[in-house]
Amino acid sequence: MSSNKYFKHEGPWSDSNDPLMCSDTGDWRTKRPVVDKDKCIFCGFCAIYCPIQVMEMVEESCFSPDLDFCKGCGICAKECPKNAISMMPEGDFKK
Amino acid sequence: MITKAQKKSQIKVITGNAAAAIAAKLARPDVVAAYPITPQTEVIEQISQFHANGEMDCELITVEGENSAMNAVMAASLAGGRVFTATSSWGLVFMYDAILAAAGARAPIVMVNVNRETPGIIAVSSGQQDMISTRDAGWIFLIAEDCQEVMDLVLQAYRLAEDYDIQVPVMVHYDGFYLSYLSEGVDVPFQEDVDRFLSVLKTQPERTKLVPGGRLGCGSHGILGGYLELRHKHVSAMERAKAKFEQIDKEYEGIFGRSYGGLVEEYRMDDADVVLVGSGSMCGTIKSVIDEKREEGVKAGLLKMRMYRPFPSEAMIKALKGKKAIGVVDRSLCFGFKGGPIYTELKAFETQLGGSKMISFIDGIANTDITKINVANMIDTTCDLAAGKTVREVTWVSYPEAQKEGGL
Amino acid sequence: MTQKKKDNLTKVMDYLKYEDPFSKGVAFCPGCGLELLLRFIPQVMGNDIVITGTPSCSAPVLLGQNNQSWHKLSYFGTLMTGAAANATGLARYYRKAGIKNTVVCFNGDGTAADIGFGNLSGAAERNEPFIYICYDNEGYMNTGIQKSGTTPFGATTTTTPFGSASKGKNLRRMNLALKMAMHKIPYAATATLSDLDDLAKKLLKAKEAKKRGFAFLHVFAPCTTGWGFAPENTIEICRRAVKTNYFPLWEAENGKIRMTKTVKKPKPVSTYTELIKKFAHLSEEDLQILQDDVDYEYCMLGGLSLLEGECRLPASLED
Ligand SMILES: Cc1ncc(C[n+]2csc(CCOP(=O)(O)OP(=O)(O)O)c2C)c(N)n1
Ligand code: SF4
Ligand code: SF4
Ligand code: SF4
Ligand SMILES: [Mg+2]
Repeated sequence: MSSNKYFKHEGPWSDSNDPLMCSDTGDWRTKRPVVDKDKCIFCGFCAIYCPIQVMEMVEESCFSPDLDFCKGCGICAKECPKNAISMMPEGDFKK
Repeated sequence: MITKAQKKSQIKVITGNAAAAIAAKLARPDVVAAYPITPQTEVIEQISQFHANGEMDCELITVEGENSAMNAVMAASLAGGRVFTATSSWGLVFMYDAILAAAGARAPIVMVNVNRETPGIIAVSSGQQDMISTRDAGWIFLIAEDCQEVMDLVLQAYRLAEDYDIQVPVMVHYDGFYLSYLSEGVDVPFQEDVDRFLSVLKTQPERTKLVPGGRLGCGSHGILGGYLELRHKHVSAMERAKAKFEQIDKEYEGIFGRSYGGLVEEYRMDDADVVLVGSGSMCGTIKSVIDEKREEGVKAGLLKMRMYRPFPSEAMIKALKGKKAIGVVDRSLCFGFKGGPIYTELKAFETQLGGSKMISFIDGIANTDITKINVANMIDTTCDLAAGKTVREVTWVSYPEAQKEGGL
Repeated sequence: MTQKKKDNLTKVMDYLKYEDPFSKGVAFCPGCGLELLLRFIPQVMGNDIVITGTPSCSAPVLLGQNNQSWHKLSYFGTLMTGAAANATGLARYYRKAGIKNTVVCFNGDGTAADIGFGNLSGAAERNEPFIYICYDNEGYMNTGIQKSGTTPFGATTTTTPFGSASKGKNLRRMNLALKMAMHKIPYAATATLSDLDDLAKKLLKAKEAKKRGFAFLHVFAPCTTGWGFAPENTIEICRRAVKTNYFPLWEAENGKIRMTKTVKKPKPVSTYTELIKKFAHLSEEDLQILQDDVDYEYCMLGGLSLLEGECRLPASLED
């Protein structure tokens, strides 16, 4: 008898009712986007252009990256019309 | 063995291709996708006409090539549909990647393949090399002997492919030219009986389907053990298909009054000493030669393979065990083994057969007729083998040059 | 903290009506154009699309591993060779079974322009009811950056490398989107990631057009790793591709071509290539060849967009 250890089904079906797979892409980052809330005009360009869509709206006033997954590409900083985002070396944040 | 049907059908004189097309219509597929190729073309022409006449309520996809036909029916099948396609030769091998994918995805497709040669020597002629080129694609292979069996096998194929315990695509093979264009009387089942025969599938659990918003995806990577698990599931389903096919054959007899004995058909095998193993249209000729030889007192029999993949090992061994000599007739080649492919495979069971001797006959490739004389020669040679005489292991029946000094 | 106005928010946000069905941590390179596109599509079109994908850079994310998935979409993993035919099978079965559906056949340029073009063209000819999206990163990236039919003149790839006897690809790229528009399908368009409102509109138009048959979208999606540019430049590269007419934005409804963005004073193509390493070795002369190619394509497009003709479906085929 074959087991159902890896697949519930006869064929190669994956099921997203199970928890989604997820990698710690935040670990890839060498630079971290830091948002200057004062400069931010809440235009949302950083959010729409972020390939990972991890710029989260904070209290309907500014955006902040989810650092667990932000890969540090710098697109948000580059596309911000107000230069409100700076890319800081990740090392600066290590204790 | 074929028993007569009683008021369950209507006899029509039709070709093998027409039988396949009508069987497909009777099965009420949701999606049909196909591309023309000699000698299969008539199948899709007929289906197109049924569709045009409003007799067949399916999505008919007139694809731009066979590869697309297989891909389209694979996806439609995994989405939950009943599907049909038909091809031959180059068309079959042009589908090859999708044939493998469909089997691995366990898409219960039913397809007919009208056997035709495939080597680069252009030959618009019959032969089973196309079937052999795809033998381990993971499909169930059934082989029909005559137009009636084409009809019956296509219908049985749906029950087998879509059975919840199986879920493996099925290819019904029949000899191009010999059966594709041959007109014979065929008992065409009534629609309500086919509906009843297939309705068993509706009582089973639903197979996994690709549904919009269904949060299921098909085509997942089998990682490490996952890959092994799926391959083992596939092999196991193929093994289950053997008993399932026998059962379906019996149920078919109950409704339509015709049974063929399941995986293999045994013809005058009970007391036979020498046996020819064959498949497809050659079996009709072999049967009539056996009848003549029996008159002369030769105890000859035929073992006809109806299922070729999975290889019906147990049924073959059971039927052949203890026979004095076996001649296997192949309509294709198997390089490096000298003998034909089915012969080579059967050789693997030599010890289980308890001392039966075996020889290989290559005949019927590229439309060379397997004539009654050829069959008689094969039986004679097999009798010589049974009598302990030295005979060639491999005989190219229609090409004596192969038997000259230094030949194979 | 100063109170900021919500109406500063880019209107692109309004198109993002559905959730991003993808897991946050997936294996695309930082700055990958494909990743943004893939996350954008279902946020605009809905999570009930059925997406098909092939071996390509999208495969490690679109396709699951054993029983697990990286996203919540229904997907079908196809072979490169038969992608459009698979989508055909799905869309036709759903139609037969009366199942509401939006099938999105999502493929790289390798599948769309090269190995899978035959069945793409066939599906368009038959006006199959689904949406085909080609994300164009101008090469076979998943196998390690080889040349494809859309790789432009002069670009280096691992099969068109720079060397004493080679200056990169010594052939011009094909214009896949125009070829598709010539199939007289209900909808064909180009789009890119700098112009997300344009992209969103086109996705919605494609969804609408799908009711009448085949819809095709060609989306320019730069690849940081394969082209050699700083990841933060992905959007800027798209922008410059548009501003130089290297990748003009247009659409063809029922075969009628219309520019969706007209560039008043196109910049020289060198302002585009200068950001990308795969062009770094090109001399002025070489760049002129590329410029000529860009000009030629734009001229052809301009001419076509002036034509009055429109290709309506026979009334019997309209819904
Ligand atoms: C029939 C076939 N040939 C070759 C390959 C190997 N292969 C895998 S991905 C790939 C390139 C895909 O290129 P593209 O479609 O542009 O996607 P990208 O990787 O650029 O995202 C190739 C050639 C394959 N999977 N199937
Ligand atoms: S792009 Fe800059 S200004 Fe706009 S919302 Fe983001 S941080 Fe604020
Ligand atoms: S650095 Fe890149 S990944 Fe991180 S938030 Fe900015 S755009 Fe997103
Ligand atoms: S190689 Fe290019 S297309 Fe592939 S994931 Fe990386 S950036 Fe994206
Ligand atoms: Mg590519």
